[in-house]
Amino acid sequence: MKKPKLATVWCEACAGCHMSFLDLDEALVDILSRVELTVSPITDFKDYAFPQVDVGIVEGGVGNKENREVIEHLRQQCRFLIAWGDCAVFGGINTLRNWLPKDDVLRCAYVKTAGTVNGIIPAHEDIPQLLDKVLPVNAVVAVDGYIPGCPPAPEALAYCLKELLAGRLPVLPADMIHFD
Amino acid sequence: MKKDIQPVKITIDGQEVLVKPELTILQAARQNGIPIPTLCHHPALSERGGCRMCVVEVDGAPRLAASCVTPVRDGMQVVTVNERIVETRRIILEFLFAERNHNCMFCPQSGDCELQDLAYELQMDHLTVPQSFHEFPVDITSDTIGLDHNRCILCGRCVRACEEISGCYVLNFQNRGPDTLIGFDLNAMREDSACTSCGACLQVCPTGALYNRYRAHYAVKGHPKDLQTIQTVCPLCGLLCPTVSTVRDNHLLKIDGVIPAGDGQPEGGQLCHAGRFEVLKNSGRRLLHPMVKKADGSWAETSWESALDLTVDRLNTVRDAQGGNAVVGLISSLSSNEEIISFRDLMVKGWETGQIETLENSGFQNIYRIRQDKGPAFKEVSWKKIAEADFILALGAVTRDRQPVVGSMIRKRIIRDNVRSAGIGPGDFLYPYRTHHIQVKNGDELLLIKAVLSEAIKVMKKTAPAPGTGKISEQTEPVRVKDIVKRLQLDAKAESALDEIIRDYVDSANPLIVVGEDVAAQKDLSGLRDLMNLALLKGLYGNDRLRLIVLKPDGNSMGAYKLLHLSDEKKRAPAIPKGGLILLEQDPFQDKVNLKAPGDLDFLAVISPYWPDGLADSAHVLIPKPLWMEADGTCTGLDGCEIAFRPKMLDAPDGINPSWQTLMALAARADIHLGYGSWDELRQKAQREIQPDGPVEKRR
Repeated sequence: MKKPKLATVWCEACAGCHMSFLDLDEALVDILSRVELTVSPITDFKDYAFPQVDVGIVEGGVGNKENREVIEHLRQQCRFLIAWGDCAVFGGINTLRNWLPKDDVLRCAYVKTAGTVNGIIPAHEDIPQLLDKVLPVNAVVAVDGYIPGCPPAPEALAYCLKELLAGRLPVLPADMIHFD
Repeated sequence: MKKDIQPVKITIDGQEVLVKPELTILQAARQNGIPIPTLCHHPALSERGGCRMCVVEVDGAPRLAASCVTPVRDGMQVVTVNERIVETRRIILEFLFAERNHNCMFCPQSGDCELQDLAYELQMDHLTVPQSFHEFPVDITSDTIGLDHNRCILCGRCVRACEEISGCYVLNFQNRGPDTLIGFDLNAMREDSACTSCGACLQVCPTGALYNRYRAHYAVKGHPKDLQTIQTVCPLCGLLCPTVSTVRDNHLLKIDGVIPAGDGQPEGGQLCHAGRFEVLKNSGRRLLHPMVKKADGSWAETSWESALDLTVDRLNTVRDAQGGNAVVGLISSLSSNEEIISFRDLMVKGWETGQIETLENSGFQNIYRIRQDKGPAFKEVSWKKIAEADFILALGAVTRDRQPVVGSMIRKRIIRDNVRSAGIGPGDFLYPYRTHHIQVKNGDELLLIKAVLSEAIKVMKKTAPAPGTGKISEQTEPVRVKDIVKRLQLDAKAESALDEIIRDYVDSANPLIVVGEDVAAQKDLSGLRDLMNLALLKGLYGNDRLRLIVLKPDGNSMGAYKLLHLSDEKKRAPAIPKGGLILLEQDPFQDKVNLKAPGDLDFLAVISPYWPDGLADSAHVLIPKPLWMEADGTCTGLDGCEIAFRPKMLDAPDGINPSWQTLMALAARADIHLGYGSWDELRQKAQREIQPDGPVEKRR
């Protein structure tokens, strides 16, 4: 039997979720023997033209146009999409800027910082434009499973993958849900 | 259960239970160990039925019912958990999370958030509704209570606590719909409002919307399971409010009132700003070593032995040269009974001192002198009986500073039970709830009382004789209302208020007079006697209680009064003090206010937890001691009935001995026998000596 394919993407977030993935330690060996990890920050595939995969996992909120394209593409290419970590599930720490106008946020970062002289807000066609608000993944595309947590516990991801391998949509039990 | 009230039989989740008919479904379920999640429900507060977290299915009806406000009915079929109910609760929870900013940095670490607990319990692993990202204001104008509207879920617990627990009516909802906010007064900032900072609201807040600005970092001090909690009493003002102190790593993190678990008659966990916040404010520099003043006036560290030796030697010298009555002992009346006893015994037996006084310097004991001189030794009514009074007369009593909870009890009695009330004095602390207030300057309250008494005697003789058993000593001469009005230059409004106060007092069945310490301390003994007569006019309360509640200046004032003024220990007539020993307690901010340094002394030793700024100039030896929270001790309540043990909450800094140990070491050096040599023996002595004035009243 062919191994199910797995892709993970990193949108607006700190990579803590992927760190947590590596924290699975020796359980990684077992998981990677049962699934094929395709595109992922860990494998460092740069090509975001995804192949068809069985499970897509998103770390991070949807904060700019690139994020949105990646998420929409991943949704088309995968059978099950999992929002992973507080940023993907709720918007997370990035939503701090949702209480401010986008222009203020950019000015704050590039012009008004104490160490900046004659700062300008970078603008180039290669730089993805910031969206007005950071959104959780399920505000952009349909999501099949959720693993909250900042970072999510390694065991929570392992649990969800095992549920998927067993042919079930994963729902975390109450004692596995944590927002911290 | 009374005979005529039959229990009803209801079925909860297939389990048949018999419950009292006055219960709600929620109470019935919890009594039988069936959990139902709640948010706006709180055991110390009335029900609101606002959050709908507790919805259950009743008799299969299509509409779910809020179990906290639905009374039980015989034969009721209740389902507390099924898919539809859980889904409903989860959706409600999602709305709460989506409405404001609950991306909170503290709760995940502290676990001190009921909203988060419910999210875990109901497996809320994502939101199905978009978040509003609407910004709400934050009010941090107060240094005690912070209000972050972004964390608020509008459960209204704080509004009910402000009304029901503290009787303040400062908090309420304002605006409508999604703009609804919890507001102080009429849209005031916290600092500009009439809030008394009792903190009842922040204790009942299920999220972090209302929070303690002292030690806000307790939130990151760990999960509640890692914290140590200590049940004790607050020793600050004599009301002995029960408290729960939270401690970690020898740091006091917070102080809460005790809210009884379950659905018994709650006392609500009320504390005041002093008991909840001031204690956390360790101002002042701790005294960590015994210090001795050198010849050039500077201070040097010294050993315990030499500090104690010097103290004994120098006080002996003063006694031998000038006589024992030139040695003065001053002790803070926040000290524990054990400290007061060992201090008194040391001073009396060691130096045959003529004078042991408390630092409060208030003289509230004047009122007891009358009790001692004339008539039987009446006991006063417990302040807890305010909850039963039908007319409350407050004299000079500015309770906001000393005993705010007494003020709050009076307010609650007035507002909730429509009891008539009046204030006479310089401060209108019951404004605007009291029926009348007559503004007179301090010292004139008793003149008005003389007039009230004369008039009341006249009226009551006409209508009915005084029903009490107490004997009324003759008023020296009747005082006419008109004369007093003229003498104090009262206006017509005050005059008619006085008439009404007299009528209210005469008509009431169960009046109580709350006497401020400033009034009790007045030197006009005939005025105080007339006050007692006025109280006696309506008979005794119970068998032996005078209808007076005397407010006292400090936490253990009653204990100090009994142990120092009523004790049999012989004291000699005081002379001009030449030497002295002072025992301080608490923060300098408390003691300094009341402190009058006894002039130029040949020798003065001070035992204090803090560096005694006001005394350092005249002192010669400073000896450190633990704070009250760092030592065991008992204190006597305001009414003289309750004697409470407050256990040590924190460890004292290294090398600081308990004050009883210091006093015993001084006694050993002075070669005197106190009759006790250890803490246990001292406690036994205290237990023998301190007799409560009566049974401890239940709190209401």
